[in-house]
Amino acid sequence: MRYEAKRCGVQFSPPSIVLIYQDEETQTLRKRIIPVRNFSKYSDCSLAAEKLKNNSRHRDYLEGVTQSQLEKLHIVLRDHMQGFSLEHSLSSFHVDPEEDLNKLDDEDLARKKGQMEKLFEKNRKRKDDPNFVYDLEVDFSKNTQEKCSWDEESDDGF
Amino acid sequence: MAADVGDISEMNQKKYDAEEHVKIICLGDSAVGKSKLMERFLLDEYRPQQLSTYALTLYKHTASVGNKTVTVDFWDTAGQERFQSMHPSYYHKAHACIMVFDVQRKITYKNLATWYKELREYRPEIPCCVVANKIDADMKVTQRSFNFGKKQGLPFYFVSAADGTNVVKMFREMIKRAVDYKQNPSDFMDEVMQELENIDLENKEDNSDAEEDGLKAESPEVL
Repeated sequence: MRYEAKRCGVQFSPPSIVLIYQDEETQTLRKRIIPVRNFSKYSDCSLAAEKLKNNSRHRDYLEGVTQSQLEKLHIVLRDHMQGFSLEHSLSSFHVDPEEDLNKLDDEDLARKKGQMEKLFEKNRKRKDDPNFVYDLEVDFSKNTQEKCSWDEESDDGF
Repeated sequence: MAADVGDISEMNQKKYDAEEHVKIICLGDSAVGKSKLMERFLLDEYRPQQLSTYALTLYKHTASVGNKTVTVDFWDTAGQERFQSMHPSYYHKAHACIMVFDVQRKITYKNLATWYKELREYRPEIPCCVVANKIDADMKVTQRSFNFGKKQGLPFYFVSAADGTNVVKMFREMIKRAVDYKQNPSDFMDEVMQELENIDLENKEDNSDAEEDGLKAESPEVL
């Protein structure tokens, strides 16, 4: 990777994705502002994110940024175009562990998935990591002791 | 939608009768990580086929079980779980089932009961397991015992699609069980189907020049 993405955010006016990255050759920290074009309050955020991720001018810089994060940033931009506050956008990403996500539509589910994706990427072991083990086995059978509180209030099958 | 299903080659489920071809289905709530698990297991091999019309994603895999090469089709839900119920064709001819929940969201664990009930309506006997995903988010959960699987006599796996813990082990064991099940099916419906197919064959042999409309047992295609 020639460019290591450090942070990625948005700028409302003009609507742009802002990327802070390190140039591996020169070891300098740089800022890249990517204007978001042809994007309105009616646009499909998932599609827009995919287009940007594959854009020939930007894709090398965005290699370390997941499509799901780009989608999230587009959602923030679009929410702003629709007149919603940043707080509104951010709280819509929050995952309430009690909430039944089966009941959400595609758009709202994407917001939650974007949030989960963050943790996934943080803990992710990639196959090109030096200590990657394909068949990683861990035996937990010895340390399972505690009863799970989720099994209480026992109804059918639990 | 119903009538067309059989015409699409991916959806033609007769291939699952061939000895070296198994079908493994995934069940569980939205965003528990079903597709992520699949992708972790298949790595570069994965080329999912999106059948959006059917809210379905298929992943093909070739595995070695004993000295045999087996083709495995994994069926993933692609949003159909939103309806809290799957189309009967999803279960049709499945040889094993992987049920997934998210250790960070209790409701996904509670909903296993609903998924399991529906599974058993269609496939009373196929091997099934319970998978607790996202243990990387909180390793402490691995000290807890989750009773749902135990009560049903189902194998239980703590896994993480992110760091890979036990993903490959789980898939390999389930493929093995799917193949074993296929060689020795105990589902009543499978036996009935087998019987009907035999009758059909006998019929053809015995009355090769008899009139049409004999006992015809078509294997019920997806409806």
